[in-house]
Formats: sequence, structure tokens, C-alpha cells
Amino acid sequence: MVDLFALTLSHALLALAAWRLVLRADLDRDPPRG
Amino acid sequence: MVDLALCLFVTALLVLSLKRPFLAVLAYLYVDIVAPQKISWHLLASIPISLITFLAAFGLWAVADDKADSRFTWRQGLLLMLLVYCGATTLGADFPEEAADKWAWVWKALLFAIFLPLTLRTRLRIEATALFMVLSAGSIAITGGIKTALTGGGYNALYFFVQDNSGLYEGSIISCVAIAIIPLILWLARHGTIYPRGPLVRLFAAALIFACLLIPVGTQARTGLLCIGLLGVLMLRTVKHRFLYLGGAAALALVAVPFLPASFTARMTTIENHQADQSASTRIAVWKWTLGYVKDHPFGGGFDAYRSNRLVIETRQVEGSGNQTDIETKTVTDQARAYHSSYFEMLGEQGWPGLALWLWLQLSGLWQMELLRRRWRKRGLAEGAGPELQWQAPLANALQQAQLVYLLGAAFVGIAFQPFILMLIGLQCGLWSYLKRLDQPAREAARRPGLDPGPVPVAKL
Repeated sequence: MVDLFALTLSHALLALAAWRLVLRADLDRDPPRG
Repeated sequence: MVDLALCLFVTALLVLSLKRPFLAVLAYLYVDIVAPQKISWHLLASIPISLITFLAAFGLWAVADDKADSRFTWRQGLLLMLLVYCGATTLGADFPEEAADKWAWVWKALLFAIFLPLTLRTRLRIEATALFMVLSAGSIAITGGIKTALTGGGYNALYFFVQDNSGLYEGSIISCVAIAIIPLILWLARHGTIYPRGPLVRLFAAALIFACLLIPVGTQARTGLLCIGLLGVLMLRTVKHRFLYLGGAAALALVAVPFLPASFTARMTTIENHQADQSASTRIAVWKWTLGYVKDHPFGGGFDAYRSNRLVIETRQVEGSGNQTDIETKTVTDQARAYHSSYFEMLGEQGWPGLALWLWLQLSGLWQMELLRRRWRKRGLAEGAGPELQWQAPLANALQQAQLVYLLGAAFVGIAFQPFILMLIGLQCGLWSYLKRLDQPAREAARRPGLDPGPVPVAKL
């Protein structure tokens, strides 16, 4: 039960982080100053 | 069910990496730290998932990632020298089969540490690497922390996901790593942009730090307690209100002691009395043996050279005091005893040249992070400096603290090639290279006054 909770919480956060990274343009290039 | 979920998670990361190649690097970090193939019984356990993510990370970077801003730093050169040197000692190892087994994972960990900085071209990639390392190791800390809070844990009795005693699933190693990541957790909570600063992030960070602090209690690893003590002292350097911090730490320790399991307190008291403790006495005997061994083998005996040792250890137990003192002496023989210290592990296995290379790698990391901390702290404190100038010095500081905690823990645990720590070194190299590149236009302009530095990435502003 504890293992399941720890796995679910950490993997949910990792998955959400990965999804947010996919949507971020600055993952591959820092935006230049205008 | 867990099997399927883990398999889907890794697959999703690899699919997303087709769109963003850097995610394959993060997938490898995750697989190497959590080792989901050990948790899984069927799907992931039956495929070489580590190799697949390793190849995906390299392959996608080679084929699809921009390499214009990638730089090879001299510390990566040190890693490469260490890799070649370890390969050479493996060829002439005292125990060829055992040495080959260790070499099979060491070369991969070293190669990945050399490769990682080449991919860290943006601020977000540096942050994402730190986040994946923390959350991956955090998954083990969360389960260990909760179990410790519920049951108190016990020496060699606290299990994390699997009944395994290797990698981060070994008690002393996770104790050291759990404390080492605390500075990174704090940095991510304050300067993170993937999970921006807010009440939920603060709550999670606080809970994760608490879980990390519970790991040495649950595993009853004495190394972990020393690491907590060192981190507590190191934090004095950066906390805003030192007296408040000292008072809070003392109050917390006083409140926590009554709640600590009796077995934990009993084990921790053996730190002072190493002569009565067979484990500690054996370590000292192994270290003495190693010093003698390298007199005859200055270039080391290759991986697992400790297998040739045979030790006779005397332990002394003193009971009572004054005229009532009883001294009980026991003689114990032991053989093929592991080094229980990264310094002696390097010395025995790789000899003086290997130890020198390894120490150079570690100490240069401390020095580089110190330089970055000082340089960027000034900029962050300058008038008008925004958050874009304030994340660099705290990250360098966090990486330095993490490494110092590791170097203390490494004195009592054989983790010279622990992949997590090599990733940390890769992250240091990446940060050093990235910030040096950001400074390049300003340095060029200073050298040639007429030259326009041109547009500067917003991460430097």
C-alpha cells in the first residue's frame, strides 16, 4: 500500500513534468532577448 | 497492474522523446535511478530497458538534437581518463570475472556522465535533470520515509519497493543520497519553473525533505546521521537567520530524540565506540589491509580486488567503570571484506593514479561550484537583478553541498562509481559549461571593445 502510494505520487509528478517539458519551447533553446 | 503502469510510463517517455529528444535522456536517468525493471516482475523485467533508454538517449541526441551549443569540458576529460584507466585495470584484474561484472555497469555510468553535459544546453534542461533526479530518488525516499514513520524501520529491515540490496536500494547508499538531494529539493522549490514556486510545491518539498531525513533513521545507517550533521552545518552558510536556524535545529533535535526507535539510538552510540563494534573494526582492518596492498600493487588490483583480503580483528567491549571495569576481548576472522569506503575502494582497485584522478574530479567540482556561486551571487544581488539572475548561485551552492555530503558518506560506503553521483557530476559539468557559454559574448566584448555582444539568451538577464 505504501509502495503503491509512493510509486503513484512520484510517477504522476514525473509524468506531469515530462508533459510540461514537451510543451515548453525553451527546452531546446533559451529565448533570446528581444 | 504496477507492471503495466511502469511499462506504460517508460513507453510514454520514449514516445514523447521522439518529439523532444532530451526526454530520452530523462528516461535514462529515471530508469537508472529507480530501476523499474527490478520492481516489475514481468513486462519490464523481461526486456533490456536500461540498454534501450541508453541507446535512445545517445541515438536521438546524435540524430535529432542541436549540438551547436554543446561543449566538452575538461572535467569530462577527467571522466574519460578514468573510464580508460578503469578499462585497463579491468584487463589485468586480480579477479577477472568479478571485475568484468562491475565494469559492465561502471563504464555505462561513466560514459553517461561524460555524455550528459553535452545535452544540457538550456536552463530548462538543467532544471529538468535536477527534477528527474530528485523525483526518481524521491520515490524511494517517500516509501522509506512513510515506512519508517509507521514502523520505525530497522537495520537491514527496511525494504524499498523490492527486496534488493544493490544501487540506491541499499540502506547506507540511499541514506547518503537522500540527504545529498535535500539542497536540490530546496533549490527546485525556490527556483523551479516546471513546478513553479507556490504553497503546494512548498508542502511537497517539506514532506519530501522530512522523508529524506527519516531514511537514515529507518535504515539505521550511521553514515546517514553524519551526513545530516554535515548538511546542517553547511546550511549555516546560506540561511538568512542563522540564530533562528540554530535554535530551530536544536529544538527539532530535542523534540525528535524521544520519538526515535531505541534500536536506532543504540546503533548510533556505536559511532563513538568503534572498538566494540565488529562492523567498524572490520572497516579499519580492511583500510589497513588496502594500504599494505597498494605498496605491492601501486596501480591497483582492478575491480573487487578486496576479495583477496583475510583479516583478523580484535574487538574490545568495556563494561562498568573504575574498579568494576570488565574488558571483554574477542578475536574474529573475516575474509573478502568489501572496502566500505570509496576512497579505499579507489585506492585498492585503481591504485594511486586512479585515486588521484577520482579526487581531482571531486575536488575540481567543489572548486568550480564555489567559483560559480561567488560569481553569480554578486550578479544576483546587484540592483535591479531579477529572478533570471538569481537561480545560478543557489544551484551551484546546492550541487556543492550535495557533493560534500556525498564525499563524507563516501568515507564509509563504497560508492566511488555510484551512477547517481556521477549524474550529479555530469550536472555540475553541464552547469559550468552553460554559464561559461552565457558569459562568452561579454568576455568577447571586453576583449574587443568595439564588438557588439549581440542578443543574449533571456536566461542570463
